[in-house]
Amino acid sequence: MSKEVLPVTAVLLLALLLATGLTAQSGVHLHDGIYTAATDDDAAAAILAGDPRFSTTHTDLAAILKDADRYDLIVTGGQVWVARSAKGEAALAAFETTYRHYQNTIYGTADDLFAAYPLWIDTTEVRSELDFTATEAGTSAGMQRPSHSAPKPSGTVEAVPTPAADLGIDEDALRETAARVPAGTDQVDRVLGGDQQDEPELGRFKTPSQLSPPLPFDSLIYVFVFIFPLYFTSQFFMMAIANERSGRRGEVLLSTPAGPGTIIAGKALPYFLLMLAVSAAILLVTGGPLAVLLPLIPVILFFLAAALLIGMTARSFRELSFLSIFFSTVMTAYLFFPTVFANVHAVSLVSPLTLVVLLFEGSGFGAADYVYATALFYLGTAAILFLCIKNFNEERLFSQERLTAKITAFVAGAMARGHPFASLVALNILSIPLVFMVQMMYLVLLFNLPLPFSIVCLILLAALTEEVFKSVGIAALFRRAGGAPGWKTLGIAAAATGLGFLLGEKLLLFVMLSQVTGSVFGDVLFSGVGLLWMPFLLHTVGAAIVAAYLKIGGTRAYPFGVLTAGCVHALYNFVLIGGAL
Amino acid sequence: MNARHVWTIAKKDLRGVKSERTIVLAILLQVFIAMFSSFLVVGLTSLYDPAALGEQGGGLAIGYAGADSPLAGLLEEPGGFTVYPMNLSEAVAALKERQLSAVVYVPDTPPDAEGPVKVTLYTIKNDIQGAVASAGLKDAFEAYEEELRDVRSGRLAAVPVDLAVPESEGGQTFFLFVYGLLIPLLLFLPAIISASLVIDFVTEEYGAQTLETLLSTPVTFVECFWGKVLAAWILVPLQAGAWLLLLAVNGIFIENAFAVLALVSAASLALILLGGVTALHYRERTAAQFVYSTALVAVILAALAVPGNPGHLLVLLSAGAAGPWEYMMVAASVLGAVVLALLAGRYARAMGNRARG
Repeated sequence: MSKEVLPVTAVLLLALLLATGLTAQSGVHLHDGIYTAATDDDAAAAILAGDPRFSTTHTDLAAILKDADRYDLIVTGGQVWVARSAKGEAALAAFETTYRHYQNTIYGTADDLFAAYPLWIDTTEVRSELDFTATEAGTSAGMQRPSHSAPKPSGTVEAVPTPAADLGIDEDALRETAARVPAGTDQVDRVLGGDQQDEPELGRFKTPSQLSPPLPFDSLIYVFVFIFPLYFTSQFFMMAIANERSGRRGEVLLSTPAGPGTIIAGKALPYFLLMLAVSAAILLVTGGPLAVLLPLIPVILFFLAAALLIGMTARSFRELSFLSIFFSTVMTAYLFFPTVFANVHAVSLVSPLTLVVLLFEGSGFGAADYVYATALFYLGTAAILFLCIKNFNEERLFSQERLTAKITAFVAGAMARGHPFASLVALNILSIPLVFMVQMMYLVLLFNLPLPFSIVCLILLAALTEEVFKSVGIAALFRRAGGAPGWKTLGIAAAATGLGFLLGEKLLLFVMLSQVTGSVFGDVLFSGVGLLWMPFLLHTVGAAIVAAYLKIGGTRAYPFGVLTAGCVHALYNFVLIGGAL
Repeated sequence: MNARHVWTIAKKDLRGVKSERTIVLAILLQVFIAMFSSFLVVGLTSLYDPAALGEQGGGLAIGYAGADSPLAGLLEEPGGFTVYPMNLSEAVAALKERQLSAVVYVPDTPPDAEGPVKVTLYTIKNDIQGAVASAGLKDAFEAYEEELRDVRSGRLAAVPVDLAVPESEGGQTFFLFVYGLLIPLLLFLPAIISASLVIDFVTEEYGAQTLETLLSTPVTFVECFWGKVLAAWILVPLQAGAWLLLLAVNGIFIENAFAVLALVSAASLALILLGGVTALHYRERTAAQFVYSTALVAVILAALAVPGNPGHLLVLLSAGAAGPWEYMMVAASVLGAVVLALLAGRYARAMGNRARG
């Protein structure tokens, strides 16, 4: 970037700051007046005026009734009337929260706090050891069928002390808390349109309307605060790599005695340090614990590795922008989805960002959690870096092939000259972390659907993904040979692919994923059912199908080959796991 | 200016987009965002408000310990639970084995006592079932609170105005999400993508030094600029229209479709011109994209703070809440985009003269 941009940058940053301030002050105006309401009642008009989502007409009843169907909601004579439409229903729900808000402002001023808020709830959380398996127990999370008699615990019964009948807080302290304006709680509404809770809050005691579990929507803010600066910086790295390629500018660099590993490390180091510094600076400003950097490091490394790959493969800057936007959206989803379930479900630990949320909440995490959440990022980074270093040469950098052809070329380039089959085994082992990342994403997306449906989707998607990843090695073999290799070679290659995939799966599972493997989902994703030779045969057959399609039908047959292999793979899973359903 | 020349340039750039399949990625991206958002809303509403999806949290088992109170009845009625009177220790043990969804302990505080009634609720940590149950629990507790308040109402100085509010089915989240968030996001995203596309179109000519070749043909600099703007712009109503159709197929109907398309087209033209002028000024992709995207964030943030911004207009139009004032604002937006186009055209002419001179 040229120096000429610097003054503009300063102006823009100032504008950004001003705009943020403006929005923070006046709020987001997106839903103002979305519902139309009418009333002939002064009190009701005052209540409605408190909610900007309503555009309210305050007039006499005759005028309202003249064109009653113009309004979503009409309040008259102590009654609320609602239009029979989705919008009317939504307006009613909005009015309910507004009305509650109003009730609370009245009750909040009461002298006798316990007459206004007579019921207080003390929530005690009990730990249960069955975590991930819980969703399997019923067809959906809430579908447990109760029996006629009271359930009898099968294990030991520990004595639970009888809770005290009073709050155990003296009344003055309570009144003081009640008088203070409490912080808003996190609810869908807060993000979508915002309504504040204004009831007294007494530490762990809650009134009934405060009971809904807090949504960790704050994690959305962490995504913005921590992850977006990282995207931004990795963008520059991506462009730096692409700049070396455009107009063959990087030729000089390649002719130096430094190896590709050294060049890449040298180019990436400033960006790595910059990203660390930015994160640390954000932590200093927000006052978060420095340990947050620990889960961020694998994310930074993965971003850099992906930026390198994108920078090395994109044909033009246009393609570069699209690839980077696409990558960042997918990664945001991967990082963000699971965090929504922080404190709710074990699946949340798939994302390193959950660890950040936990750190900010003050609960921290253990070494096992860290390994579980970050291992895929570290291993995935290693796999991508290996691929890039092997291909950081003139031939690959300055070619203008299509993306898919380029990826195949990259994989072919990473294979050892003399040992194609050993290379295939190694490549498939290396691809496993990336396969798992994709599958984890499916798991996060699908785990809360009702059971048979989620498993069916998971089986189909997982089978297809695995076949796609395996087929890359086979396609690379075709490219290396410059045509179709013989049947015998293809047979051995398919077996090598199957072996590599199986080894990779088992190795990675032993290392970390015990939390998922215990469940039906684990069986689907990691071929957990059956003896070792069965998944081996399955993986080999899948690779062989793709190889056969490619040999007979050429490149055009590739998608059909992958589809066929995916179907066979899914069928195998259906048959084996059918028993478990 | 020759319209044929403009169209030739536009076609050339569109062909480039098509051959690189970048547009496929862009569309995939939008589908992904739609999935992303609907996952959020479906997943979260089913988690935190099962009634919203028509799925009752009902039938779940609740252990009840302590003194008798109307709460037991309320848990069975509005809450829809099956309630088992149990010994507290046994109930908590059963909860740990997930035979119960929650356990409630009620002390024998009389309803008209001086102090509060403190109910203890035991739930499972990190559990979806607990979250599902909590919606029903909340209803029951609120009903109980209402009863207790009635008993103690003599002690309150001010009582809120009583309004009979019919029972809602919790459709608010879905409606507000679809019309208030998803639709503006889906419809404005093509505009934002197209604007960054035009930067690539323009800077590519400078970067690859193909501009001189292009200008040696009868095509002028200004025609070239408009061709690129047109190529980027034409994609927007196409994508936005496709989204409208797709949403309609899914049963989400959008009112004022023409006004919505006009508004989106006007807003996207403004953004594309912003991108185009930035690209003409910097002639280099990194700088132009950086300046454009930072400016874009500032513009969006500032716009959101003002009522009547394009996003707000779009929400009101698509939800069918627009009046004459909103239609005037749409007309004003179209007019504003035209004025911007004239200004940008003059800037392009000036740049063209400089390029020639």
